[in-house]
Amino acid sequence: MLEAKDLTMKYEDGLLALDHLNFKVEPGEIFCMFGANGAGKTTAINLFLNFIQPTEGTALIEGIDVTKEPLKSKDYVSFVSENVMLYDNFSAFQNISYFSKLAGKRNLSKDDYAQVFKRVGLQEEAFNMRTKKFSKGMRQKLGIAIAIVKDVPNIILDEPTSGLDPRSGQEFLELLLELRDKGKSIFMSSHDIFRAKYIADNVGFMMKAKMVMLQSKEELKGQDLNKLYVEYMQEHTDSE
Amino acid sequence: MLRDIITKEIQDMIMSPRFVFTFLLCTILILLSIYTGINNYQAEQKEYSAAVALNRKNLESQQTYGTLAGLGTKINRKPQVLSTVVNGVQEAVGRVATVNIAYDPSMIDSKYSSSPIFAIFGALDLIFIVKIVLSLFAILFTYDAIVGEKERGTLKLALSNRIPRDRLILGKAIGGFISLLIPLVIPVVLGLLILMIYPNISLSGDDWLRLGIICVMFLLYLSVFFTLGLFVSARTSRSSTSFLLLLFIWVTFVTIIPKAAIMIAGQINPIPSVHEITAQKDAYLQEIQKEAIAEQTQYFKDNPRPKEPDKIAKWNEELKKWAEDFQQRLTGKIDERNAAIERDYQTKMRGQQRLAVNLSRISPASALMFASMSLARTGINEHERFLNSVKTYKPIFTKWINQKMMRSLNLEEGGQQPKPELDDMPQHEFMPERFSDSFSRIMPDLVLMVFLIILFFIGAYVSFIRYDVR
Repeated sequence: MLEAKDLTMKYEDGLLALDHLNFKVEPGEIFCMFGANGAGKTTAINLFLNFIQPTEGTALIEGIDVTKEPLKSKDYVSFVSENVMLYDNFSAFQNISYFSKLAGKRNLSKDDYAQVFKRVGLQEEAFNMRTKKFSKGMRQKLGIAIAIVKDVPNIILDEPTSGLDPRSGQEFLELLLELRDKGKSIFMSSHDIFRAKYIADNVGFMMKAKMVMLQSKEELKGQDLNKLYVEYMQEHTDSE
Repeated sequence: MLRDIITKEIQDMIMSPRFVFTFLLCTILILLSIYTGINNYQAEQKEYSAAVALNRKNLESQQTYGTLAGLGTKINRKPQVLSTVVNGVQEAVGRVATVNIAYDPSMIDSKYSSSPIFAIFGALDLIFIVKIVLSLFAILFTYDAIVGEKERGTLKLALSNRIPRDRLILGKAIGGFISLLIPLVIPVVLGLLILMIYPNISLSGDDWLRLGIICVMFLLYLSVFFTLGLFVSARTSRSSTSFLLLLFIWVTFVTIIPKAAIMIAGQINPIPSVHEITAQKDAYLQEIQKEAIAEQTQYFKDNPRPKEPDKIAKWNEELKKWAEDFQQRLTGKIDERNAAIERDYQTKMRGQQRLAVNLSRISPASALMFASMSLARTGINEHERFLNSVKTYKPIFTKWINQKMMRSLNLEEGGQQPKPELDDMPQHEFMPERFSDSFSRIMPDLVLMVFLIILFFIGAYVSFIRYDVR
């Protein structure tokens, strides 16, 4: 479970990057956070991963305050970045092996990794290929494979489908649905409303550091999410 | 976990094109330098043996002690076996000194004076490769150690796991340093094997000990640039900025500080030129010569040659005695005065040198040079020790030749002077610096490098703990 309680981030120069953010991602749930660049989505992720310290509020992973117990909280979360960047001189096997060891998974065999690769849709010939030759889609798949191998209850994804071709994007979302069905709490930031709307259980719209709308799938039923997003953004821009 | 990080660092580095390039270049350069070092040393050994034999032959061919006193004996400096790895100043400072009754000895006939072309670029010895090439590679290996991972995004991915940052930086430092050592250690070990098996190259236990400490100095020197690279990499947010900054620091450390230190020391502590010193010595020599002629004239005035044949033998004996005393007194005066001028000059020069050395020691490149040359016995200090030993030998030789020359005076008309006998000629002796003395001399350099390593590593460590990985 992931939870943000009044999570606020104000930089030393006075810039308010996140303003009292509140949300909860239960097990078996996908929460999609939408918003323009600079709206505060990545700041929220950085706070959950303890890359920065909040000026107010708390980020909780499985009830653990990430500021107070940063290392412990990381035992319960996996992270997939926008552009999964790996060690280019390493093969897919070497990359996953290194990151899974960092995650504390030391006894996995090559077969275990191969199974995860197959599960995320990586072709067998890619296993021993240097990742510098990987396409963006392949990198994202490897990134999610690294997250799967860690085998933790929470996954945080930062713009995971940006730049993916339609087929790869679709495959990626199907993979997330599969993980959700296994009880993972998934928090995903995105611009990609077209794709994310099919998988999100809850959605939040971010604008200028604030969450201006938070709705569940039930509340969104029958509504056009694209239209709603544009209207919301327009409305909040006009009200300023 | 630390082991995993170290292993990953080594694997990542070894598989990179820059490692392959570094390894190949280092192997070629290091082996080439040791090979040329061995060849140069062997050539110098041959030249030394030939020069010693020629000197002996020249001495033996002299017909009188008088001509021997004028010609003097040549003292050749024995080549140092460790010049195969650290050439030092020996090619610039001269290999031979002439000791005769007239002039103060100085080292002449340097390799650079006979072949000035070598002075343009200097020698391609192992220390040059470590000082210039490998220190640049240390920067190349580390400039993006932290900032590069941030740019790639791998740092964020790694730190999303339960890894303490201190362990990550420690793992990166150890792994990166091992990767840097591979291109140094493998060719150096090969080079040392060549040294061991090469004919006519014999290293004593003391030489091996010195060589071992030189290798430790190499490691410390590379560690300075390695930790500096880590530090700068953890203080910057772009790898291009990190590289440029490191390049600037490298140029300052390796080329600017050593040269500037010598110039600054020259300005702060000026010393008279060699020509001024020579002029002072020559002026005194002329003064003494005048005095000598006057005293000689006075002697013959006071003691005219007797006309009675039975008194001539006694007169001759007295003249010989007086001449020997007179000659000893004269050369003693010259030596004493020259020694005083030299002492004063040496004191001033040492003061300037000490200042230049201490100023340039801020640079690890200078510290490496001083330490390695002291250990290889190819530095300025050993050169000065040798020259001083020659200067100490000069009055001993002078006393001997004066005695021989005067006692062999044949004042009979048409009388023959005896051919010189060299069996009892005092020999020049030089004891190379002991290891303990060399080691205590390199202590400031060693301490400085260790201090810089600790300073830069703490800097890198603290910076990384606070590093913004976003």
